[in-house]
Amino acid sequence: MDKSSQVIAMYLLVHIGLIFFTYPADVIASLSVGHWSAILLGFACHFTLLGIYTKGLSRFASQNLIDIFRGTGKAFAVVLLFPVMAYLFMTMVVTVRVYAEIITVVFIGNTPIWSVMLLVVAVCALISSFGVESLFRTGVLVAILFLPLLLAVFILSFQNADWRYLLPLIDERSASFSYVFRRPYLLSQFAFAGGFVFLGFIPSYIPYERRKVVRASFLLLPLFLISVYIPLLTFGEDTAARFQFPFIMAVDTVDVSWLMFDRVTVFFMISLICFVLLYLSLAMWKTVLLLRSGIPLIRPVQANASLAAVLYIVCALIPDWESVERLLGWNLFLLAYVTMVIPLVTFLLGLRRERMGAARP
Amino acid sequence: MIRNLMYRIPLLLITVSAAVTLSGCWNIKDINHRSLPVIMGLQHKNGVFQVWLLLPEASEGRSNVRVVSDAGKTIEGTIDRIGKNMETRVDLLHLKVIVFGQALAEKGLGDTVSGFMRARDIPAKTLAAICDGELEPLFDRLKSSTSNNGIEAYNYFEKNAGWTPQVAQTRIWQIYRSLHSYTRDVAIPIIKPGRTTTLESTGSAVIKNGRMVARITPDETLLYNLFNGQGAQGRIEVMDHAAVQILTDRMTHQSALKEGKAVLNSRLHLKVTVLETISSPTSDRIRQELNELLTTRFQRMFRELQREEADILGVGQFFRARMSREDLRDWRSDHYPHLLINFRVDSIIENVGLLNTMGP
Amino acid sequence: MDLLAFLKTRQEQDADLFLHRMFVADQSVVLAGFKSLIDLPQTMMLLQQQARNTVASERPLFALESGIGTCIRDADERRVMEAISEGDLILLPESVPLCIRIVPVNRTLTRAIEAPTTESVLRGPISAFNEDLDTNLGILKKLVVSPRLRTRSFWMGSDVRRHAVLVYMEGRIDPALLTAITQKIESNQETDVPDLMALTRLLGFPKWTLVTRYNTTELPQNAASALSKGKAVLLLDRFPFAIVLPSLLLDMFFADNDMNFPLFYAVSFRFLRMVGVLTNVLLPGLYVALVSVNPEVLRIEIALSIAGSRSEVPYPALVETLLLLLILELTLEASIRLPKTIGPTITMVGGIILGQAVVEAKLVSNILIIILAATTIANFAVIGFHNATTVRLGKYLILFLSAVYGLMGLFVGTVVLCAYIAKVSTFGIPYVYRWRARDRNG
Repeated sequence: MDKSSQVIAMYLLVHIGLIFFTYPADVIASLSVGHWSAILLGFACHFTLLGIYTKGLSRFASQNLIDIFRGTGKAFAVVLLFPVMAYLFMTMVVTVRVYAEIITVVFIGNTPIWSVMLLVVAVCALISSFGVESLFRTGVLVAILFLPLLLAVFILSFQNADWRYLLPLIDERSASFSYVFRRPYLLSQFAFAGGFVFLGFIPSYIPYERRKVVRASFLLLPLFLISVYIPLLTFGEDTAARFQFPFIMAVDTVDVSWLMFDRVTVFFMISLICFVLLYLSLAMWKTVLLLRSGIPLIRPVQANASLAAVLYIVCALIPDWESVERLLGWNLFLLAYVTMVIPLVTFLLGLRRERMGAARP
Repeated sequence: MIRNLMYRIPLLLITVSAAVTLSGCWNIKDINHRSLPVIMGLQHKNGVFQVWLLLPEASEGRSNVRVVSDAGKTIEGTIDRIGKNMETRVDLLHLKVIVFGQALAEKGLGDTVSGFMRARDIPAKTLAAICDGELEPLFDRLKSSTSNNGIEAYNYFEKNAGWTPQVAQTRIWQIYRSLHSYTRDVAIPIIKPGRTTTLESTGSAVIKNGRMVARITPDETLLYNLFNGQGAQGRIEVMDHAAVQILTDRMTHQSALKEGKAVLNSRLHLKVTVLETISSPTSDRIRQELNELLTTRFQRMFRELQREEADILGVGQFFRARMSREDLRDWRSDHYPHLLINFRVDSIIENVGLLNTMGP
Repeated sequence: MDLLAFLKTRQEQDADLFLHRMFVADQSVVLAGFKSLIDLPQTMMLLQQQARNTVASERPLFALESGIGTCIRDADERRVMEAISEGDLILLPESVPLCIRIVPVNRTLTRAIEAPTTESVLRGPISAFNEDLDTNLGILKKLVVSPRLRTRSFWMGSDVRRHAVLVYMEGRIDPALLTAITQKIESNQETDVPDLMALTRLLGFPKWTLVTRYNTTELPQNAASALSKGKAVLLLDRFPFAIVLPSLLLDMFFADNDMNFPLFYAVSFRFLRMVGVLTNVLLPGLYVALVSVNPEVLRIEIALSIAGSRSEVPYPALVETLLLLLILELTLEASIRLPKTIGPTITMVGGIILGQAVVEAKLVSNILIIILAATTIANFAVIGFHNATTVRLGKYLILFLSAVYGLMGLFVGTVVLCAYIAKVSTFGIPYVYRWRARDRNG
């Protein structure tokens, strides 16, 4: 049975969760005019890599990444996959920490951060221990419940848009792509890169059509544009660049007088955080999978619990926002590895297999 | 599978109950233990901030307000001191209107507003106003005339309640935006205690880079609102011969750079209905007079604004595509004062009400 | 003859057992059975009639093919007692060592077919299942007139035996589901099934669960449509409900009876039920979150009115809500067991007097009363009482999380509930599966 819709829902949710918090600030910081070029460039890379990755995967009908790499040699698999695990762990640490910070700053100022992190880690461990199938189904349920809310907020967020801020459309800097290797732009790639690795870990009992997922990625493009352009249109570039979370600020200016709630946007932000929870659960599940393929003796529940514990302790050890930024910087290398090398290697292995398959009969 | 579940559920329960019991120590305060100020007054005198807060008294069946005030070096510190001396915690989460004293506005709102944007407890959509005269009488008036938990002042500015287009409507985030924008300033309504009503607006303050530099009359504020597309519906325009009500308004603009000089052709399209006439004028006459009146009024206001280099109309926005960023940076000082604006009014009298003649 | 001797000793312990000697076509026989189950005079008349017919057609009376009843081969004490306790008549001829089991005229021990008592129908067939298995099967067969209908009969239990019938439609049901169910039943046939909990264990479902894996319905119409959708229906004797396997999330919202209305209404009813479930699960948590952690989300007018109504309530919102919820749950629980005549009294006492007094006494705020009333009403918008109970528990998780983490907790609680629901599956069919009726013949 085709479960593309589950995969697509998960793919969308994971990315939506990642887009709206840090991505706009990074893009706005990396250039001052013509942000669309940065967004389109990032999206084009994402789209290409996604295409390559899924193409490579599609050559191995029912195998996941671990099986594929193992097929070429155990040492090969360890060397290739260990950084992936490191990346996943680092991302989880940073994500838990960043979002716990956002939660305490934005919604519940009185709650200590350790308890927020406890909630996040505990919930993610619980969900990931339920297994990947129920994780995907959860994704669909959450999408059905929360996406209409998001859609409403997207529409409302245009309330204060001043379209003249769109202009000027381009200058030399954005046309020459000179921003590409600057730190903010590279950091912005987290929103593109973090999500789609999971496609390689999907077990064979969740079959999906590659084409549909690739096509669904186009749904993300307007969201990327909205996330950057809503703050730009509302505040203008100079003001928007001063905010840590420009999109949240922009949505905060929306005034809806016909609802019984005053800050509708809080609901929006919390739904995004729920999507991030799903992303974290997915990452945790992947890490456990990798862990267990490395150490086959460990039982899933143990692996899950110990990973959660380690994650929580590491998160609690991070003292301040600066160290988070430093971690983000280190993680960039792993990020580049995971988003470039893994899809390419998968693709090449797929190519090799096809050639061998073509030569054999 | 079954066994997993059996210890997973108790585990979850233990976690939850632990969290609940621990929650005692994070001071979560129920809504009835918080004071939710609706209006805040701010004045700066002799290097000291004076803060007034209008607090609705939460009690059933009655609607009382009380006014507390204190003074101190910083705003947050002063509010904190007020909270310390009260039996409830002061929570600015629901602040609706901030009234700045004129002295503070003339000195500059930049730091204050940036502070509000930084601290998340004050919502970015809080409305701003400037008090004509002292703040003390204003709060006395608000206190004595309230019947609805002090929300009147908020309703005075609220679009779906008592707002009229002669009053500017500016929020904190808009002031903050104007601080960092090359091409946009704001107007903040000026209020004072009314003679028979609670509040009375005496025009708007022109705020340039956070400082009040001039003021405009309520009639000019109407033009400001029209220019910003703040649908000036239902507004009554008084002339020698008639009173009309604006039904719809629409602005079209054409910007151009001619020999380095900025030129803007603006057209205001109005649809009006006649409400009241004095000695039967023709509808052409009414239209003509309306057009003339609005045009001269606009030109007068605009010249004044140009003199102060304050672009509250956001005219610079129309030149974003025509100028480089560097040029825009000097928009207020270099281009704006020399801007040529051709303002024309096209009005259509859509109907003349329920009577079919213009006369008595 | 030792069978007769056995029955005689048995009779001393069981006053209900009768041993009746009579002559059937000049042969002396002994009839055995339970007085309480068998209408003896009628049965005897029938027996005589049959015997006369047999003699008239000049066939041997007790031959196997004579058709008086079925012969129990190798009749031992256990089998005879089983037959008797199932309500059949045992005929022991004195001349021949035979034991014949006869279907007697039963006493009527079942109520007539009535309207349902736990579900109500506004438009659609009104007759409901009752305690008699054969009646239930009959009603079902009347509704599903199809050559594809199959029934399989089981006797479950060793000490206390219970008759069960599995009904399904060939070609509609997923063969994997059918084998899974029959295997479970057959391999655990010795388990006694006094209640549905035991049935749960028999079918291999976890005991600690918030979601029942099967639906029960009193309406034959529901069972019939479940059959035609490819689900299995299990009928238990003396249980006036059909058990539909598997149960799915959408069964909470989609009643078959909806389809007796124009589609527009059907869709809106279903939407309403979903809103009901969300209201019930989220509303108390929302109140606590907004009142104690995130009051900035409320509009100022509402915030002030809540603050006013809570101004003299001495404890935090969580305690307030829990207190009132407890009373509501007690009212619900008590009203199930109340005689119908006292029901309105409790409604009045609980609803009007208690509600009014509790607000007057400043024990809870009156807005909470409104919220919890809405919650309780919304609870029963879902279909089926078992589903209503499923929904009831979810709100407490959300309530506690909201009390600690505010709106954040509310949403995270929702995600956890979603994850739990997504995890549940019945015989490999996920609970959140959208069931499509399909023909599996092709």
